[in-house]
Amino acid sequence: MQNFQKNLQRLEAADTQVLGISMDSPFSNKAWKEKINVTFPLLSDWGGDVTRKYGLYDDKRKIGRRVNLLIDKDGKIANIQIDRDAVDPSNTVEFCERKKLKG
Amino acid sequence: MRKRIALVMLWLLALAVPQTGRVLAQEKKEAPPPPPPLALKVGDEAPDFTLPDDNNGKVTLSSFKGKKNVALAFYIFAFTGG
Repeated sequence: MQNFQKNLQRLEAADTQVLGISMDSPFSNKAWKEKINVTFPLLSDWGGDVTRKYGLYDDKRKIGRRVNLLIDKDGKIANIQIDRDAVDPSNTVEFCERKKLKG
Repeated sequence: MRKRIALVMLWLLALAVPQTGRVLAQEKKEAPPPPPPLALKVGDEAPDFTLPDDNNGKVTLSSFKGKKNVALAFYIFAFTGG
Protein backbone atom coordinates (compact mmCIF):
# COMPACT_ATOMS: atom_id res chain seq x y z
CA MET A 1 0.00 0.00 0.00
CA GLN A 2 2.86 2.33 0.85
CA ASN A 3 4.44 1.39 -2.47
CA PHE A 4 1.43 2.74 -4.32
CA GLN A 5 1.48 5.84 -2.15
CA LYS A 6 5.11 6.47 -3.15
CA ASN A 7 4.10 6.35 -6.80
CA LEU A 8 0.85 8.27 -6.43
CA GLN A 9 2.05 11.48 -8.09
CA ARG A 10 3.35 9.62 -11.11
CA LEU A 11 0.10 7.68 -11.41
CA GLU A 12 -2.04 10.78 -11.07
CA ALA A 13 0.08 12.54 -13.68
CA ALA A 14 -0.72 9.61 -15.96
CA ASP A 15 -4.51 10.04 -15.45
CA THR A 16 -4.76 7.09 -13.09
CA GLN A 17 -6.91 6.80 -9.99
CA VAL A 18 -5.57 4.38 -7.38
CA LEU A 19 -8.11 2.36 -5.40
CA GLY A 20 -7.13 -0.13 -2.72
CA ILE A 21 -9.54 -2.99 -2.01
CA SER A 22 -9.44 -5.37 0.91
CA MET A 23 -11.89 -7.60 2.72
CA ASP A 24 -11.50 -5.56 5.90
CA SER A 25 -14.28 -3.40 7.33
CA PRO A 26 -14.47 0.32 6.38
CA PHE A 27 -13.63 1.08 10.00
CA SER A 28 -10.36 -0.84 10.05
CA ASN A 29 -9.47 0.52 6.60
CA LYS A 30 -9.85 4.05 7.92
CA ALA A 31 -7.70 3.33 10.96
CA TRP A 32 -5.02 1.67 8.90
CA LYS A 33 -5.01 4.36 6.25
CA GLU A 34 -4.46 7.05 8.85
CA LYS A 35 -1.72 5.06 10.51
CA ILE A 36 0.35 4.61 7.34
CA ASN A 37 -0.49 7.94 5.69
CA VAL A 38 -2.15 6.59 2.59
CA THR A 39 -4.19 9.20 0.73
CA PHE A 40 -5.96 7.14 -1.94
CA PRO A 41 -9.33 5.52 -1.10
CA LEU A 42 -9.38 2.11 0.55
CA LEU A 43 -12.54 0.25 -0.35
CA SER A 44 -14.04 -2.39 1.86
CA ASP A 45 -15.08 -5.64 0.20
CA TRP A 46 -16.55 -6.97 3.43
CA GLY A 47 -17.78 -10.48 2.69
CA GLY A 48 -15.57 -10.74 -0.39
CA ASP A 49 -18.22 -10.45 -3.13
CA VAL A 50 -16.08 -8.30 -5.43
CA THR A 51 -12.93 -10.30 -4.71
CA ARG A 52 -14.87 -13.42 -5.78
CA LYS A 53 -16.39 -11.69 -8.80
CA TYR A 54 -12.87 -10.95 -10.00
CA GLY A 55 -11.81 -14.54 -9.35
CA LEU A 56 -9.26 -13.47 -6.75
CA TYR A 57 -10.55 -15.43 -3.78
CA ASP A 58 -8.40 -18.41 -2.90
CA ASP A 59 -10.93 -20.95 -1.62
CA LYS A 60 -8.25 -23.30 -0.35
CA ARG A 61 -6.57 -20.76 1.87
CA LYS A 62 -9.73 -18.69 2.50
CA ILE A 63 -8.05 -15.44 1.59
CA GLY A 64 -7.93 -13.03 -1.32
CA ARG A 65 -4.91 -12.83 -3.59
CA ARG A 66 -2.58 -9.86 -3.86
CA VAL A 67 -3.30 -8.46 -7.31
CA ASN A 68 -2.92 -5.12 -9.10
CA LEU A 69 -5.26 -4.59 -12.03
CA LEU A 70 -4.98 -1.61 -14.31
CA ILE A 71 -8.30 -0.74 -15.86
CA ASP A 72 -8.17 1.64 -18.81
CA LYS A 73 -10.59 4.42 -19.65
CA ASP A 74 -12.72 2.01 -21.69
CA GLY A 75 -13.28 -0.12 -18.58
CA LYS A 76 -11.07 -2.93 -19.89
CA ILE A 77 -8.25 -4.66 -18.04
CA ALA A 78 -4.98 -3.33 -19.44
CA ASN A 79 -2.34 -4.79 -17.12
CA ILE A 80 -2.19 -7.46 -14.41
CA GLN A 81 0.32 -7.97 -11.59
CA ILE A 82 -0.27 -10.95 -9.36
CA ASP A 83 0.87 -12.38 -6.00
CA ARG A 84 4.52 -11.60 -5.28
CA ASP A 85 4.83 -9.49 -8.44
CA ALA A 86 2.06 -7.22 -7.21
CA VAL A 87 4.02 -5.99 -4.18
CA ASP A 88 6.11 -3.66 -6.35
CA PRO A 89 3.73 -1.59 -8.50
CA SER A 90 6.49 -0.16 -10.77
CA ASN A 91 5.25 -2.25 -13.65
CA THR A 92 1.76 -0.76 -13.33
CA VAL A 93 3.18 2.77 -12.98
CA GLU A 94 5.40 2.40 -16.04
CA PHE A 95 2.52 0.95 -18.02
CA CYS A 96 0.36 4.02 -17.24
CA GLU A 97 3.12 6.39 -18.24
CA ARG A 98 3.77 4.61 -21.54
CA LYS A 99 0.05 4.62 -22.25
CA LYS A 100 -0.15 8.33 -21.52
CA LEU A 101 2.70 9.03 -23.96
CA LYS A 102 0.92 7.07 -26.65
CA GLY A 103 -2.17 9.19 -26.02
CA MET B 1 32.77 -59.68 17.12
CA ARG B 2 32.56 -56.06 18.13
CA LYS B 3 34.63 -55.16 15.12
CA ARG B 4 32.22 -56.98 12.86
CA ILE B 5 29.22 -55.16 14.36
CA ALA B 6 31.00 -51.87 13.88
CA LEU B 7 31.71 -52.76 10.27
CA VAL B 8 28.08 -53.68 9.64
CA MET B 9 26.98 -50.41 11.23
CA LEU B 10 29.37 -48.45 9.06
CA TRP B 11 28.16 -50.26 6.01
CA LEU B 12 24.51 -49.48 6.87
CA LEU B 13 25.40 -45.87 7.45
CA ALA B 14 27.13 -45.69 4.09
CA LEU B 15 23.98 -47.05 2.47
CA ALA B 16 21.73 -44.67 4.35
CA VAL B 17 23.59 -41.44 3.62
CA PRO B 18 22.99 -41.21 -0.12
CA GLN B 19 19.38 -42.30 0.46
CA THR B 20 18.86 -39.43 2.86
CA GLY B 21 20.42 -37.07 0.36
CA ARG B 22 18.04 -38.27 -2.32
CA VAL B 23 14.99 -37.83 -0.07
CA LEU B 24 16.07 -34.32 0.84
CA ALA B 25 16.63 -33.44 -2.80
CA GLN B 26 13.17 -34.70 -3.62
CA GLU B 27 11.63 -32.60 -0.91
CA LYS B 28 13.44 -29.56 -2.20
CA LYS B 29 12.18 -30.12 -5.72
CA GLU B 30 8.57 -30.18 -4.62
CA ALA B 31 7.77 -26.49 -4.58
CA PRO B 32 4.34 -25.48 -3.29
CA PRO B 33 1.71 -26.00 -5.96
CA PRO B 34 1.47 -22.97 -8.23
CA PRO B 35 -1.59 -20.82 -7.53
CA PRO B 36 -4.28 -21.21 -10.15
CA PRO B 37 -4.08 -18.75 -13.05
CA LEU B 38 -6.47 -15.83 -13.01
CA ALA B 39 -9.72 -16.13 -14.89
CA LEU B 40 -9.38 -12.49 -15.87
CA LYS B 41 -7.25 -11.63 -18.88
CA VAL B 42 -5.87 -8.43 -20.34
CA GLY B 43 -8.55 -7.02 -22.62
CA ASP B 44 -11.48 -8.33 -20.54
CA GLU B 45 -14.18 -5.96 -19.37
CA ALA B 46 -13.58 -5.23 -15.68
CA PRO B 47 -16.63 -6.31 -13.65
CA ASP B 48 -18.32 -3.22 -12.23
CA PHE B 49 -18.81 -2.75 -8.50
CA THR B 50 -19.79 -0.22 -5.88
CA LEU B 51 -18.02 -0.48 -2.53
CA PRO B 52 -17.91 1.60 0.67
CA ASP B 53 -14.75 3.68 1.02
CA ASP B 54 -13.03 4.59 4.28
CA ASN B 55 -14.85 7.91 4.59
CA ASN B 56 -18.57 7.01 4.71
CA GLY B 57 -18.76 7.29 0.93
CA LYS B 58 -19.17 4.84 -1.91
CA VAL B 59 -17.05 4.33 -4.98
CA THR B 60 -18.34 2.89 -8.26
CA LEU B 61 -15.78 1.61 -10.75
CA SER B 62 -17.75 2.62 -13.85
CA SER B 63 -17.83 6.25 -12.68
CA PHE B 64 -14.22 6.56 -13.91
CA LYS B 65 -15.05 5.28 -17.38
CA GLY B 66 -14.00 7.67 -20.14
CA LYS B 67 -12.17 9.84 -17.59
CA LYS B 68 -9.38 8.01 -15.84
CA ASN B 69 -7.53 4.73 -15.73
CA VAL B 70 -8.02 2.92 -12.45
CA ALA B 71 -5.24 1.02 -10.67
CA LEU B 72 -7.11 -1.49 -8.51
CA ALA B 73 -4.91 -2.90 -5.78
CA PHE B 74 -6.41 -5.95 -4.10
CA TYR B 75 -4.86 -6.50 -0.67
CA ILE B 76 -5.15 -9.72 1.30
CA PHE B 77 -5.64 -7.55 4.36
CA ALA B 78 -5.14 -3.81 4.53
CA PHE B 79 -2.14 -4.27 6.79
CA THR B 80 -0.19 -6.52 4.42
CA GLY B 81 2.69 -5.50 2.19
CA GLY B 82 2.94 -3.67 -1.10
